[in-house]
Amino acid sequence: MKERAMKRWSSIPIVLLTSVSLIGLTGCEEPRVEAAVFENLAQCLDDTNMSRGECEQNYKEAQSQHAAVAPKYTSQADCQADFGAGKCEEAPYRTSSGGSVFMPLMMGYMMGSMIGGRRSMMSQPLYRSAKNPTVFRTANNRNVGASTGRTQVAKSATSRPTFKSSTIKRGGFGASARRFGSAAT
Amino acid sequence: MRRIPVTKRPDLARAAAEHGLQFHADSGIPGWDESAYYQFTMGQVEADLEAPAEEIERLCFDVVARAVADEAVLRRLGIAEPFWDYIADSWRNKEKNFYGRMDLSYDGEGPAKLLEYNADTPTTLYESAVFQWEWLEQSVESGLIPRGCDQLNDLHESLVRTFPLLGIEGLAHFACNQDIEDDKGTLDYLEECASEAGLETRFLAMDDIGINDRGHFTDLDDRAIGTLIKLYPWEWIMTEEFGRHVPASGVRFIEPPWKAILSNKGLLPMLWEMFEGHPNLLPAYFEGDPGAAALGNTYVRKPLVSRQGANIEIVQDSKTLFCSDGPYGGDDHILQGFHPLPEFDGNYPLVGCWLVASKAVGLCIREDRSLVTGTDARFIPHIILD
Repeated sequence: MKERAMKRWSSIPIVLLTSVSLIGLTGCEEPRVEAAVFENLAQCLDDTNMSRGECEQNYKEAQSQHAAVAPKYTSQADCQADFGAGKCEEAPYRTSSGGSVFMPLMMGYMMGSMIGGRRSMMSQPLYRSAKNPTVFRTANNRNVGASTGRTQVAKSATSRPTFKSSTIKRGGFGASARRFGSAAT
Repeated sequence: MRRIPVTKRPDLARAAAEHGLQFHADSGIPGWDESAYYQFTMGQVEADLEAPAEEIERLCFDVVARAVADEAVLRRLGIAEPFWDYIADSWRNKEKNFYGRMDLSYDGEGPAKLLEYNADTPTTLYESAVFQWEWLEQSVESGLIPRGCDQLNDLHESLVRTFPLLGIEGLAHFACNQDIEDDKGTLDYLEECASEAGLETRFLAMDDIGINDRGHFTDLDDRAIGTLIKLYPWEWIMTEEFGRHVPASGVRFIEPPWKAILSNKGLLPMLWEMFEGHPNLLPAYFEGDPGAAALGNTYVRKPLVSRQGANIEIVQDSKTLFCSDGPYGGDDHILQGFHPLPEFDGNYPLVGCWLVASKAVGLCIREDRSLVTGTDARFIPHIILD
């Protein structure tokens, strides 16, 4: 297998971070929506605005997505470089070649506010990067701020997070190019 | 059709720099020669090049339809069995073709003859679309070429217009062998056009593509690749380690898998078999086919899958007239009727007609000093003037 430096999860948000802060600077505000963010179940239960049922149901919902949507790494060191020492765990599945897969711990969860008796969005797990540990990020690396409890977040950050899977091998294309040279015709 | 010597633009070094092309003080831009241009009439371009190219494309689609329904044809083309269903499905699902370049032998008088169809990984796109147009504008402005002249060149607009019509959703990945300037230059330009058309794009080297435990291909950010615009031949992909994962990968490829039938020189005997006598086709047979006796002792021998003029042998009266080197000699071969490129002052021009979404929208002429157009060939601009 070819040695390849895995792109750090934190290298992806450079563009996103810039664009998020630029949105603030130019005053061209992205629509914001109401949400509720908690570090854990206990914090939600302590919030007088939240019912026990809401806290537990949303926590379960976020947890159920966590293993699927969290960023994945085939090296624990790479995961910890992005999320911090002690902040990663093994994913509940192995690679097809039997290797371990690592992911950050779920560090919070976000749910939509109640609108007419219904939640405006599905609950989802949140994470904190080692580089910027004060803010919560979604599994798709959207910044949802540092506040807990009821808060406002960018609408686009509330979209459903995508499935993440780790790359187990690279370099399976390219051998012919090394042999023949240009693909040009 | 005339070849007219012309003064080169004095600021060629600057033009090269602006377009990211190399420039050498003694030899100019490698692969580009503006010491002459070819001149066609509008009638020649429309009737002898555009219309035939589009018609040949339609004939090619008939060949694909035939091939996907007949294993014997796919086997004859040397396409490995594990890909037969995958290729057939891509045709039946009407996966869209994007671009290609037909190489024609044309002297301005008789009908143009198809030498081969670069249906999968054609290059020199940037020179064809952008650089030769700028040559025309600047040369007209400087009085080096006549005012009022035109060029068959709607390439840039066609590429940008066509990208949104492909129905690509989300991120489009672009991949090639990044070490080869020719390949990277064409792909970079394609990516620019896609971007201009509003698509979200990301480049990665072919050998950086990974595979995840779900059997999806991934980029360097571990994102699953959904659409891959590749400047990398299907026949290479099908033999490489990740090739076996392609059919189940869920990737939409441009060019689609069925183009592998057309970028294979076995296309030529198939066209002759189905449309024998067509004015724009040369007789062609698979080597070993007794029917090849019809060619007599004069023919051109080509591997099924070779590129840039490699491994071509021209046999005249049973003697080898010309033979080019290359790494493709081991493959099966076809024999094609010998229809020499016309000669203009010791130069042999090969006329390339660009198709985008099956419409003829560009012309690219490459000249070599020999009958086989190889890697020393130079791009020569053209004009249309009645």
